[in-house]
Amino acid sequence: MSDDYRAKIWVGEADFDVANEYKRTCDMSPHAGAVVFFVGLVRDLYAEQLASESVDYIELQHYPGMTESLCDEIVRQAYDRFPFDTVRVLHRVGKIYAGEQIVMVAVASKHRDNAFHAAQFIMDYLKTRATFWKKEVGTKGEQWLGVKDKDQDALKRWS
Amino acid sequence: MVNLVAGLESMIKVLFFANLRDFAQTDSIQVDSSQISDIRSLVSALGEVLPSALTDALADESAMVSVDHRYAGWEAELHDGAEVGFLPPVSGG
Repeated sequence: MSDDYRAKIWVGEADFDVANEYKRTCDMSPHAGAVVFFVGLVRDLYAEQLASESVDYIELQHYPGMTESLCDEIVRQAYDRFPFDTVRVLHRVGKIYAGEQIVMVAVASKHRDNAFHAAQFIMDYLKTRATFWKKEVGTKGEQWLGVKDKDQDALKRWS
Repeated sequence: MVNLVAGLESMIKVLFFANLRDFAQTDSIQVDSSQISDIRSLVSALGEVLPSALTDALADESAMVSVDHRYAGWEAELHDGAEVGFLPPVSGG
């Protein structure tokens, strides 16, 4: 297996600055012609979409060590299918309020197709394989979320 | 039998996450490995020391299991010093 890419995988509580991340991604990828960013935010709606109730914040737990090694594996699998120059994956844990950033996947590649595809591949597997757990806290009290059918279905596009 | 002088090499470390952590009322526990050969015998041993809400939740074997940071099946065998995670369905991103 080739290691022709640069990767930064980070899990922690701190928020991140997309402008800085864009600069870092570009600095790590002097030969790239395309940079794709995905940023996930905490929605203020419950997963079940009850209009009259809202989420104040989520609490994210993860399995230190296992999460990072799963992210490494997912990134490698993405690279094997859609080679890229650089990937940066940041995922926050702890208490995150509605409207705040929760996850970022940035991919730089020579051409745009691989950057788009690799970013989507990484997000799809991050949501269904990586050891993160999300608890919604709001007007309905607290509840842990499980994997959604639509996230599981999303994996079919890569089979 | 609890082995009071057990070293880490004869222990299994068990971690719980999300609702399973709530049921267990702890994030982790060390278990003497001498009577434990696989995941199911581990769950039986946990039933003796942790709230029944945990073993009730694990009874249908729908939770995922990891051994040493890798996903494993409920048939997985355990070795001395193993780290086992009981993992509800994930929900990151």
